[in-house]
Amino acid sequence: MYNLVMKDLKLGVNPWFFALPLLMGALMLVPGWLYFLVPLYFCWITIPNMFAGFRTQNDLMFTTMMPVTKKDIVKARVTVIVILELLHLVLAMIYGMITIRLYPNLTYYFFAPHMGFWGLCFVMLAIFNVIFISMYYKTAYKYGGAAAASITAAMLFAGVAQWLGIQNSFISDTFNGSGVDNTALQISILIAGIVIFIAFTMIAYRIAVQRFLKVEIL
Amino acid sequence: MLALDIRNLNKKYPNFQLKDVSFQLEKGYIMGFIGANGAGKTTTIKSILKMIHIDSGEVCILGKNIAEHEIELKQEIGYAFGDIDFYTRSKVKTLTNVIKKFYKNWDDGAYYNYLRRFKLDENKKIAELSTGMKVKYSLALALSHGAKLLVLDEPTSGLDPVARDDLLDIFQELIVDGEISILFSTHITSDLEKCADYITFIENGQIIASSEKNEFMESYRLLSGSESQLHQVKDQLISYKINSFGFTGLIHTRDFDPSSDIRATTPSLEEIMIYFAKKEDMYV
Repeated sequence: MYNLVMKDLKLGVNPWFFALPLLMGALMLVPGWLYFLVPLYFCWITIPNMFAGFRTQNDLMFTTMMPVTKKDIVKARVTVIVILELLHLVLAMIYGMITIRLYPNLTYYFFAPHMGFWGLCFVMLAIFNVIFISMYYKTAYKYGGAAAASITAAMLFAGVAQWLGIQNSFISDTFNGSGVDNTALQISILIAGIVIFIAFTMIAYRIAVQRFLKVEIL
Repeated sequence: MLALDIRNLNKKYPNFQLKDVSFQLEKGYIMGFIGANGAGKTTTIKSILKMIHIDSGEVCILGKNIAEHEIELKQEIGYAFGDIDFYTRSKVKTLTNVIKKFYKNWDDGAYYNYLRRFKLDENKKIAELSTGMKVKYSLALALSHGAKLLVLDEPTSGLDPVARDDLLDIFQELIVDGEISILFSTHITSDLEKCADYITFIENGQIIASSEKNEFMESYRLLSGSESQLHQVKDQLISYKINSFGFTGLIHTRDFDPSSDIRATTPSLEEIMIYFAKKEDMYV
């Protein structure tokens, strides 16, 4: 499994995609922006390009020839996706902390980058993973449909959450108003988000393995 | 001991079927796996390597069933697929560094020996290697992880005669110790006449014959004669062609009466393949 992850990091994934979180994260510095867009760049840019790369490089055939189980092939790929997602989120969080200190008196129309918001981002990526990973492994090479469906779902979640955040006074209060100072509340939202992220990704992995076992490598 | 033992392999596709494919390869020999394009060579090889799911049948490699010992056996199998490339924009060195981590018996000394011997430059990119060099690179990888069975799918297709001959010499050197066995699919039959010990012939998803090379060739006769002679043997012929001088046709040696005055010669592998393919056409 470890060797497979290293194979992806050294061969399969373009180094650019490890630099991207640093650049995209910097968008957090735009004051009062719609910050949901920042982690979405991962879904829009990294995922399609990375999987196009795997396909053109015949990665599936290459990997199958190595002495590894199909289960490990999926596990490694999911790990690589999660590593990149965490890289995007953690770097964005760091930039977010800078933003909060940089513009202390800003009125946020969209969600401000507090911990609760990052919990919502984890949920968004959880939704993305559960759809993308499980759909992709029906064939293990067609990523277009899986990407379209999962990105749509993630954006719908972000859109609805943000809309509620504006329309609903309770939610608005929790993420942008008085709730911001309630550290316990913020941390619990973040932890809940992370738990959902882990759970959905595990489910995606299990479905993907079941599907990939049936795939014929041509 | 059998390096490869395939029994009653069946796989059904909508337009194609592998039917009861069985053959055995003794350890330390080269087996040529011949058949026309689309006859089922690659499908068989992919079934052996568990890349596709078989409907029924059993594949044993070095005495172990691949269904149960897949990972363990893959450590001992080396592959070269003539027409498939991976990570062609990466350097040989980069690719090797990734691949070697997967094999517990990787031998760096052996690897560099083979690189020197095959005149491979590890700083070149895969895309810069010629077709022959790519096959040699696959071989170097396979041999450096101590592969006991080499499964080569059309390794000589696309190579010039010199490179082919060079590769065939390498194959023969490899099996001298009796440790390594080679299954080698091709449609370039002259290669097998040079180096194979056994021939397995597949046609339309079915094994026509699997035996020692000369025995295989001797089991057929190529007849040529006039049209009137054709009528004497027409029913026994596998297939025949009519030309302005009369006919030429392929027959099983056992069906041919040697006292007949029809001229008979031992066919080449290519002729056997062609006449079998023609037989399929005749029934369509």
